[in-house]
Parts: sequence; C-alpha cells; structure tokens
Amino acid sequence: MSTAKGAVVGRSQPRLLQRLARVAGHIALPVYAVLALAYLFAPIAIIVLFSFNDVRGRFNFVWQGFTLNHWLDPFKIPALTDAMILSLKIAAVSTLIATALGTLIALALIRYRFVGIAAVSLLILLPLTTPEVVMGSSLLTLFLNQGIPLGFNTIIFAHVMFNISFVVVVVRARLRGFDWTLEEAAMDLGANEWRTFRKVTLPLIFPGILAAALLAFALSMDDFIITLFTSGQEVTFPLWVWGAARTAVPPQINVIGTLILVTTVTLIGASLLLQQRRT
Amino acid sequence: MTEFEKIGTTRRAYTRRDFLKGMGVGALSVAASPLIAACARATEELAPTPEELALAGPLNFSNWPYYIDEQTNSDFESEFGVSVNYIEDINDNEEFFAVMQPLLSAGEDSGRDIIVLTDWMVSRFINLGWLDKLDKSNIPNAELLRDGMRNVAFDPNRDYSLPWQSGFTAIGYNPTLTGRKLTSLSEIFDPAFAGRVTMLSEMRDTLGLTMLGLGLDPSTATVEDAEAAVAKIKEHIDNGHIRRFTGNDYGTELTTGDAWVAYAWSGDVIQLQLDNPDLEWLFPEEGFMLWSDNMLIPKGAQHKATAEAYMDFVYRPEIQAQIENFVWFIPPVKHDLVKEEIAKIEETPGELSENPLIFPTEEDLANAHIFKPLDEDEEAQMIELFESVALDLY
Amino acid sequence: MPYLLILPGLTWLAVFFLIPIFTLGQVSLQEGTFAEGFRFTWHWQNYPDLVSRFGRLFVRSFGYAGIATLLAFLIGYPLAYAIAFRAGRYKNLFLFLVILPFFTSYLIRTLAWKIILADEGFVVAALQALRVLSEDGRLLATRTSVIGGIIYNFLPFMILPIYVSLEKIDKRLVEAAEDLYANSPRAFWKVVFPLSLPGVFAGSLLTFIPAAGDFVNAQLLGGPQQQMIGNVIQSRFLRVLDYPGAAAMSFVLMASILVAVALYARLFGTEELM
Repeated sequence: MSTAKGAVVGRSQPRLLQRLARVAGHIALPVYAVLALAYLFAPIAIIVLFSFNDVRGRFNFVWQGFTLNHWLDPFKIPALTDAMILSLKIAAVSTLIATALGTLIALALIRYRFVGIAAVSLLILLPLTTPEVVMGSSLLTLFLNQGIPLGFNTIIFAHVMFNISFVVVVVRARLRGFDWTLEEAAMDLGANEWRTFRKVTLPLIFPGILAAALLAFALSMDDFIITLFTSGQEVTFPLWVWGAARTAVPPQINVIGTLILVTTVTLIGASLLLQQRRT
Repeated sequence: MTEFEKIGTTRRAYTRRDFLKGMGVGALSVAASPLIAACARATEELAPTPEELALAGPLNFSNWPYYIDEQTNSDFESEFGVSVNYIEDINDNEEFFAVMQPLLSAGEDSGRDIIVLTDWMVSRFINLGWLDKLDKSNIPNAELLRDGMRNVAFDPNRDYSLPWQSGFTAIGYNPTLTGRKLTSLSEIFDPAFAGRVTMLSEMRDTLGLTMLGLGLDPSTATVEDAEAAVAKIKEHIDNGHIRRFTGNDYGTELTTGDAWVAYAWSGDVIQLQLDNPDLEWLFPEEGFMLWSDNMLIPKGAQHKATAEAYMDFVYRPEIQAQIENFVWFIPPVKHDLVKEEIAKIEETPGELSENPLIFPTEEDLANAHIFKPLDEDEEAQMIELFESVALDLY
Repeated sequence: MPYLLILPGLTWLAVFFLIPIFTLGQVSLQEGTFAEGFRFTWHWQNYPDLVSRFGRLFVRSFGYAGIATLLAFLIGYPLAYAIAFRAGRYKNLFLFLVILPFFTSYLIRTLAWKIILADEGFVVAALQALRVLSEDGRLLATRTSVIGGIIYNFLPFMILPIYVSLEKIDKRLVEAAEDLYANSPRAFWKVVFPLSLPGVFAGSLLTFIPAAGDFVNAQLLGGPQQQMIGNVIQSRFLRVLDYPGAAAMSFVLMASILVAVALYARLFGTEELM
C-alpha cells in the first residue's frame, strides 16, 4: 500500500500527461487545419505571386521581377475577360438549376420508399462514371440530331446534367438520419407542408445544400471536355486557357484568378461582419 | 515594350478609333497607321472593292488563340464594310475535328467561313470532302505565296488552303544542363540525358523527327519506317530515358530544367528564350519538320466571297508584317516583301527581320521536311502504333 | 409525392444523359474503321477485345483512384472536422476557401504544381535531404505526382460531404459522449465518427468515381508508364478514331466502377447509406 504522498504523486502524473495530451489534441487540430489549407493554397500562392511577374516573353513560368503592370490593366485581353464572365454566368445558372433539381431528388430518395428507388439511386451514379469525352460527343450528336443550336443553352444542359448527381449525393449525406418527427411536430402545430419545409426542414439541411451548390459551381467553372463539345462558338474560361496555353500563358489569367479569390473572400468576410453587427 | 503590351485579340468588332485610343501600344502605332493606310490604298488595285463584290457579312473566322494582332480585323472591317466575328475556339486539331465531325459529315453548315488547321488535318478534311475550293480569282494576292509553299503534297495546287503561318518542329534544349551544344537528333539519346528528354504527343512531329534521326525521310514515310521509329522510342521509354510526351506544356519543364532536351516548336522557343536565356534552338543536321496552319473554307460556308476577300487582304505584305509583328511565326508570303514591310514597323531593328526562326534561310528551309500525307489506311496503322507506344501498351 | 419530387431532375437526366448513353451503346456495338465507315452489327466482340488489351490500365486506374481516395480521406477528414466543430461563425468562409482553388483553371493550378515540385525545386531538395527521395529521385512524371494531382483536385469532393455530415451532429451529443467516455478519442470513435459515415461514404464516391476515369492528371503530370484508362479512351476517340472501341471501353469502365461501388457499399452496410 502506498504512502499518502506516494499516492498523490502516483495520481498526478497520469493527470499531467492527460492534460498535456488534451492541450496537444486541442491545438493539434487547428494546426493541422492550417497545414491542410496551406496545402490547398500552395499552387494558389504561386499563381498570385506570378500575377506580379515581370515577364518578357509570352509564358509565365520563371520569376523575373516584380511589376504592377498586369494589375494596372487586368482586362487587357478582352477574350479572356469575356470567357471568365461567360463561365461565371454559366456556373451560376447551372448551379441554381442543378441544386434545385438535385435537392428534390435527394429528399425523395431519403424521405420516401417507392417503386424504382433502387433504379433512381443507380441512375444518379451513372453520370459520375461516364468518361467526359464520349459523353460530350454523344451530347453533341443529340443536339445536332434535334437541331438544337449550340451555345449557352447547350452548355447549361450539359453542366446541369453532370451536376445533379453531385448535388444528390451531397444533400443525401446531409439528410441521412434526419429527424422527420420534427416535420410531423410542425404540422401537428398547424403548419402546412410547404411552410414546414421552408421553416423547419430547409434550414436544417441548408448547409448540405450550400456545400452541394459550391461543388456544382466549382465543377462548372472548371469543366473542359464536355464544354468543348457543347459550346458551339462560345468560349468559356477553361476553353480559353487551354487554347491559349499552346502559345502563351499571360499573367492576366493570374490577375483575374486572384481578383476572384479576393472578391469572394471579401464578400463573405463583409457578410460575416454584417451578421455580427445585427446580433 | 513587353509581349503582353501587344496583346488584345479581338472577339467583337473593334473600330479603328478604339485601337488608336491606345490599348497600350503608343506613339509608334499612331505613326505607323497612316503609313499602313497609305500602303493599303496603294495595293487597292489588287483588292476587289466592296461595290464589285457586294460582300456579305459577318465573316465568321475560327482561329487558334494568339494568332492575330489587334489591328488587322478592324482594318478589314473599315475597308470592306463587313464585320469580322473572330473567335479563338480552335486549340487542338483532333479536338476540333471531333467537334466538327458530326456537323460536316451530315452536310450541315459549320457556322464558320474560315477555319485554320494544320496541314495533316487539312489533308483529312480534303479527303472527306469537307472543304470548298478556293476561287483564286477572288484572291489575286495568293500569287504572293512563298515559292516553297505553292506545291505541297497535301494540296498540290493550293485548291483548298492558303497557309496562315508556319513553324518548325525540332529541338529546344538547355546547353548549360546538357553540358555541351548538340548538333544532331541521335544525340538526344545520350544516356547522360536519361529522364531528361520529352517528346511531343503529336504523332507526325515525334515520328517525323525520330525517323530523321534514324536516317529515314518522313516525307516518304512508310509503315515500316514508322515501326522503326516506334521501336526506337519504345526502347527509350522502357529504360526511362524519355520522361514524358507533352503537348505544348513542355515549356514548364524546359524552363524549370526538369527537361534538358525537348522536341519543340520554334515559336514557343523564341518566347521561352526571353524568360530563360539559357535555352537554345537546334536545327539538327539530319533535318527537321516544317508545319503550317492553313486557312480553309468549310463546306457550306455562308460568306465564301467575303472569306476569299479576307484571305486576299491578309496576304498583302504590309498586313503580313502587321500580323507577324505580333505572332512571330513564319509568314506565308514571299519573305523579301514581308521583311521590307516589317523593317518599317519592328520596335528593335532586326528583332524580327533578321530572326532565322521567323525568316529562315534557304538552307534551313531546304532541310525542313513535311510529313507525307497519309491515306486513311496508313494513317490508321501509324496512329495505332504511336498511341500504343505513347501509352506504354506493348 | 416522391414521383413529383424526382420528376424534374429525372426528366433532365433522361433527356441529357440516357438518350446520349443509348446512342453511345449503339456505337459500342459497331464495327469498322473511320476510313471504311462504321456499321452497326451487334459487335459484342469489341468488349472482350478491349478488356484483354487494356486490362492492365484498368487495374492501374483503379489502383491510383483507390489510393487517392484513401489519402484524400486521411487528409480531408480532419480538415472537415476542424471546420465543422472549431470554425464557429467562420464555417462558411472556410467552405469557400476549400472550393476557391477551383476558380483558377485546372491547367494553371497544375502548372503551378510543376513549378513547386520541379526537380531542382526546394520540395524535392527537402525530400532528398530527409532521405525520402533518392539522390537523383524526382516527384514529377512519376506515379506519385499523378496520384498527388488526383488527390489535390478531388480533395474538396471529399471534404465537403464529410463536413456536411459532421456539422449536423448535435453538439450536445458530442458533449454527452465526452462525459461518458473520460477521454475524447473514444468519444470520437464511438459517437462522432459513426455519425459521419454517410458523409465519408458520399465523399468516397465523389472522389473515387471521377478519379477512376480521370485523364488530365496523367496527361500533364505523368509519363508513359502512368497512363490511365481515361487516357486510353481519349486516345481511341480523338486520335485513333476508334469510336466503337472508345464507347465499349467507356461502358466497361462504368460497369466496373459500379461493381466496385457496390462492393464498397456492402462493406459499409448498404441500408444506412444508399
């Protein structure tokens, strides 16, 4: 049997270690998060840096000196600016449509049991598995056979098509284990189905919808092959960059990319501040 | 003035006033513009007037990016009273083919009046009957085409095509890293360069150069020749000598020094040298490849006469010089004429007019080979061989 | 009611996916060459021919995609956790940050990686100093860079679904679990992690499936020995003009991915997740 002193020493040592472990665990996660974000942004850092590169030639691979010239004239290449604006428009429209359609499907798949549910689940996965080059070409054939003029609309048709699947999978993950009794409770209290959805369900699944929308937006902004086949004579941002890169990689690409980054972060930061003020 | 101060390719109609307001080009252009206008007037006898032709517009012109200067399209618009719908939506021959194929094989209108494609793809379009013949009476300036380009195997009388720009495919390398200057194609297989060599994913470029290194002639290439070249390549994939097959993206590797030797295109290397002065261009002693991108009129084009007027317009030496001043590839029009015009407008005297990659010597042009136009059967066999080795499928 | 909900989306997919896929199916049963023309002849032989020829690349692609998915999970889960539980008010900001790299073109991002991972760059030098890489080892044009590229580009697809699952978990549940289990790790494994499984499953699907058919990473970051099935399909379609072959291979790819997913779902317990 240990002395009283020994007993105290014996018990405080594990507690000290325990506390150290807890502190380490507590800071380990934020430290890791910072490292992970640094990894995500490593190439972005290069891209931002090289927007200030004083290039002499047409490419932007080697640091040659600092200049603000490109920032003073970011919209110097009209084709690039037009392409970026077009891509943003397409992404916005296709995200809205895909998120709406996909959320509805996700709700149906989780909330109800119906004939064909397995088939629909399978159908949702299929577009994800299809190689873009054959998908794009088949879509082109479809549009031509039906006499649908190629351009903005056909790009939207294609982008929404592949985005629906992503939205369904993400929103469905959010809906798993959703407590539907909340809805029943609301309706017992007198709310109709739509009101219940709007006031009870929607806010609870909103983070899932937001995440799905973000993914869809990103996918649409970055898509190359399917867009190539379905764009007719429209030139989106990825199409322009891939095409131009054959001859040149102008720093304006970096400038516009950085502008978008900065604008988005600023907007969100501002909205957070506004929220803070209101509460 | 840096390269990027010259950029501003058009997609919508630019007026001359827009341009003169100064997209950063400066006093030199203001001085040059009346000169160009005067030259345009002087050659007007060669150009059909709008009244004579009643040109229909707009002219739908699909081209590769960075292939035209800012001024040419607006000059054409003001002189001919037709707008130019210039779209840079061609970035790969095979991808463009894939997008055009369903349209043109069904006999439908491609929506374009002029497209620009590389010689071997022109060959395919001709064989498939997807091109309209050019009415040379509308293109008197076609006479100014360089002698060496008049009679090409893939379009003997230039019935369907007129070159837009040309370039060389050969070797770009870094003598500091290789440790010595290179002179021949066979040297790239020096074991000291293991893992430092890249080749092009474009079949004709890579097989062509490899054949030359083996003493074979790409302009008479047979399937057996291709097999020999493929065997050589395979050997060097297996031992890790060849690092990658690249599109235009060998630029990063040459610049960072990951690649010491690359099969490369002349226009790129000129630009890369500006950023990395260590890089050099090699005209190998065995020979090298010449490619050209050509203006074509797809079947069913709505504004054929306008397209032909445009082709005639851009073949004026002063317009060639204008384009050349931005593009820096090999112009199709007789070089003495273009050199004369470009000497008037180039920023640094001799920068372009004495650049052997823009105005090559007769000797270099004699050593340049164009890959033989292949019939469908040969093409199918060669592409199968090449793709199998590039994907390491054997 | 459920039919009403699925109708709009389903119609869109029926028109813009099923019809083209049906056409593709017809093409896969054609034979011939581009030169002679293609004829529809129920040429099922396309399928076994291609599998035997390109089987090795199927295996490689699934291998790369599998490793990439696993690593994306290991890298992405803690970040998703941090955003869900530690970011507080700034959650949405961090979500945007995760997605933001996509606003630069894929090509530009990859060129930036090629500069960072260059043979003479400091990353390679550091790894050589740490003996992780050999003296003349490199990162680019290897299996590592291709898988690395896949991980990097699909990381948001792993992170966002996991976040979505985690964020839903009632904080009081987590507190109760931490009280129940004296130390935090078991609270995580017994309570939090199982609740996040739907997100993990979703994230794995959205990473593995597109990665298996990916071609750009191998095209820009890989050498001949790192080519994937996506590259073969590109090649058959765009260069060799073997449309039936490309179509048949696409279906084999789609089918094998679905089989892999079904096995994976079985592992997780289908009821809960599909």
